[in-house]
Amino acid sequence: MSYLTDIFLIALGAALINNFVLYYFVGICPFVGVSRRVEMAFGMGCAVTFVMTIAAFLCWILTTFVLMPGAPLSKWVAGFFVSADVAAGIDLTILSYIVYIFVIASSVQFVEMYVRKFFPVLYSSFGVFLPLITTNCAILFACLMIMSNIVGVDNPADAWDLGRALTLAIFGGVGFIIAIVIMAGIREDLELCDIPKPFQGVAITLIVGGILAMAFMGFTGVDSGLRNAMIPM
Amino acid sequence: MNLVTIFISAGTMLGLAVIFSYILGWANNAFRVEIDPRAEAAMEVLPGANCGGCSYVGCGDYAVAVAAGEAPVNLCVVGGPTCAAELAAIMGVELGETFPNYAIVHCGAHSEDRLHRSEYLGEQSCFTANLVKSIQGCVYGCLGFGDCVEACNYDAIQVIDGLATVDYEKCIGCGACAKACPRNIISINPFEKNSILVVKCANHDAGKAVKGVCKTGCIGCKACAKVSSTFTITDNLSVIDYDKYIQADTEEIDKAVKKCPVKCLGFAGKP
Repeated sequence: MSYLTDIFLIALGAALINNFVLYYFVGICPFVGVSRRVEMAFGMGCAVTFVMTIAAFLCWILTTFVLMPGAPLSKWVAGFFVSADVAAGIDLTILSYIVYIFVIASSVQFVEMYVRKFFPVLYSSFGVFLPLITTNCAILFACLMIMSNIVGVDNPADAWDLGRALTLAIFGGVGFIIAIVIMAGIREDLELCDIPKPFQGVAITLIVGGILAMAFMGFTGVDSGLRNAMIPM
Repeated sequence: MNLVTIFISAGTMLGLAVIFSYILGWANNAFRVEIDPRAEAAMEVLPGANCGGCSYVGCGDYAVAVAAGEAPVNLCVVGGPTCAAELAAIMGVELGETFPNYAIVHCGAHSEDRLHRSEYLGEQSCFTANLVKSIQGCVYGCLGFGDCVEACNYDAIQVIDGLATVDYEKCIGCGACAKACPRNIISINPFEKNSILVVKCANHDAGKAVKGVCKTGCIGCKACAKVSSTFTITDNLSVIDYDKYIQADTEEIDKAVKKCPVKCLGFAGKP
């Protein structure tokens, strides 16, 4: 399989087929919380995409050079204390969660300062939700997915490079934007609807989200079909 | 897991912490947002009660609006005149004469003054009791279940003998009780004197019907209106024109109060 085909399949898979929100159900809190107005939802989606890309970039670098077994940087440092073959076996993947959360929290802080300075309108409309990206599991999920494609593979040649990792992050973010903007569009129309009282508010939102997820189930299997079409067996 | 792994793990975390704190520290200076210093000063002066009495979302919003010159400086009911004066000093504007707002209960009937039709055993709240017709004769007056007491954050209103009574030492005029009252008999009025005259009735029915249900209800007899032009009778209920009341002769007012056959005119406010 050529490199470009792989990139295309990762992008399509992250954006539509295995949509973070509607397939894996991560990042539900902003999906429900910030989907009242389309422009706000779009802003939130862009912020998540931005943070996700930065986090994926840093996470790929840290995983490849520091965390994975036999990573060059940790091997080099360990080489001062122990013999070379022991140093090659140093495995810091136990640190992955804490390092990723650290990276995400820091980049969210950075983005928050940046948005506050240059987009004050966006900043005031986000309110509490911008810091909430820190705990947005979609971003941690993207990082962990990248890690599992670097550390978990049998053949080192199959490990993802930076391009694949960034593709997953950017198009995962695009998938998040698609999902949250569709949701916001539906919710804007819902305000005009005569909804029975017990279903009003979050209840109808969750039901709509479920129906939307079912609609996205229609993409299931598209990636394997494409893969088979592109690589003749 | 060996000792080297532990040390390298610790070193990794330490290194990351140093790098990121350096970047964030730089960003904090580079992306510093200039806030209007007057807004910060106004924020310091405001009481921070976030009661919404000024019709802004919170004290922060009001401080920004004041600093931008969009809002008058005397809207804060919690801070009162001192707060308004401090805000005026910050903004460098002239402060007009302002009066404190307090709540007025437009009902004077204690439990024994009212006609009770049937005992009410439902949910003990004015809101639900108001849905049931004729649990008491008067359909305008105080129900006495204390929705206003619950709404008040300042412990300034109590139900005494079945009648909501305002403690004017504690009332700040935020209007929470007026919103909570299902019969809308509480109003927020500026008090230009320590205590002002109030019509303690909200019953718009004809005199005979009022007499049947309440001992102290206004029967629209025009006795007060004949004595002083401060009073007008609209919809069988006496209404005080407060602009005229401030200028009116005290003796004339006293005479009108004495003339009232049902004693529904009374003073409210600090003694």
